[in-house]
Amino acid sequence: MSFFKRSPSDSSSNYGGIPSKMPTPIRQRSPMPTKQFLSPPSVDPEPFYLLKDPPISGPGSEVTGETHMISHYGLEHSYNKFSTKKLKEQLSAFLPLLPGNIDTVSSQDNSSLQSVIEKPPITKEITTFTTGMLQGFKLHPGSIPDQYKLLHHQPAKKHKHKKHKRDHRIPELSEPMSAGAEAGGDNGHEKKHKKTKKHGDQDGEKKKRDKKKKKKKARQDPMHPGMPATHEGSGPGRP
Amino acid sequence: MSSSQPDKFEPLVENLERFIEITRQLGLVVSDFQPQGQAPLNQKLHMLVSSLQELDKNKEQVQDVQVPLELIYEYVDQGKNPQLYTKDCMERAVAKNELVKGKIETFRRFKKALVTELGKMFPEEIDRYKTVRGSDT
Repeated sequence: MSFFKRSPSDSSSNYGGIPSKMPTPIRQRSPMPTKQFLSPPSVDPEPFYLLKDPPISGPGSEVTGETHMISHYGLEHSYNKFSTKKLKEQLSAFLPLLPGNIDTVSSQDNSSLQSVIEKPPITKEITTFTTGMLQGFKLHPGSIPDQYKLLHHQPAKKHKHKKHKRDHRIPELSEPMSAGAEAGGDNGHEKKHKKTKKHGDQDGEKKKRDKKKKKKKARQDPMHPGMPATHEGSGPGRP
Repeated sequence: MSSSQPDKFEPLVENLERFIEITRQLGLVVSDFQPQGQAPLNQKLHMLVSSLQELDKNKEQVQDVQVPLELIYEYVDQGKNPQLYTKDCMERAVAKNELVKGKIETFRRFKKALVTELGKMFPEEIDRYKTVRGSDT
């Protein structure tokens, strides 16, 4: 559909500013063989070239990016498994029965598969040891230093710290309290002050009452008529 | 994965497990070597070599198996779970699939708009084109 070949009758007309005499495009061959052109025998396909066959839709047709590839190849189960389940990052989670610590970066101890692929250690045929060769494997009794006991070193399993329920509850309970105190911190202080003031006022009133009682008693007491009451001289209520 | 593949890998897996077990036993013998341990050590070494020979024979059965180097270099060599690679690949494939699907849909809309607009300018040609193409337009 790239080019149109005009009929001679249209050459005089001007299509919206397009020059009426356009250079005739060089006819290019389609990469598709002409046999595959979809054209009914009754219709002349001459005006169109570089016309590819439309993709045949239906089962068995060419798979394009339009199709859902995961379902096309029947991988929904695997995809759902991997997308929903959280995988452990360590290699030991995939190979749990392998002895030793395998979760380390292999380049640290020169045990990488990359080095085996790039420089294969054995290029010749694998032959069995002769008696002379085994002489090189004679060992002295005793244990090796701890740093070489790699096979005994199992990866340390991470124990999940059990969280106590109380530990959760305390912050939950304390948070609103603290939040309330933060939100209306001044009010809280005021309340406390008011309480203390009230308490202080009550004490003062009691003291005043006691003083009045003592004064009355001192006045009424015939045994001690001239005995002044305590703090009498400084009392404000003295006439 | 076809159903014949588990049978194909089974001897390789068994031999690998045997090899790992012999290596582990060798490590135990060597780490605390006893005076009478030389003969068992030699025996284990022979077993190790024969196990390697068995493994070497297994390679003919798995010649057609292709393992991505990225999986080996970036995951196994780094001590990571190789299933993470499968997960990443699938997620990337789904994202790319969605992208291409979107592009195809956009081109389809563009084609529809183009045919409509061309039909206004070149009605006869587009009519003929539609006749040739049939339902595809």
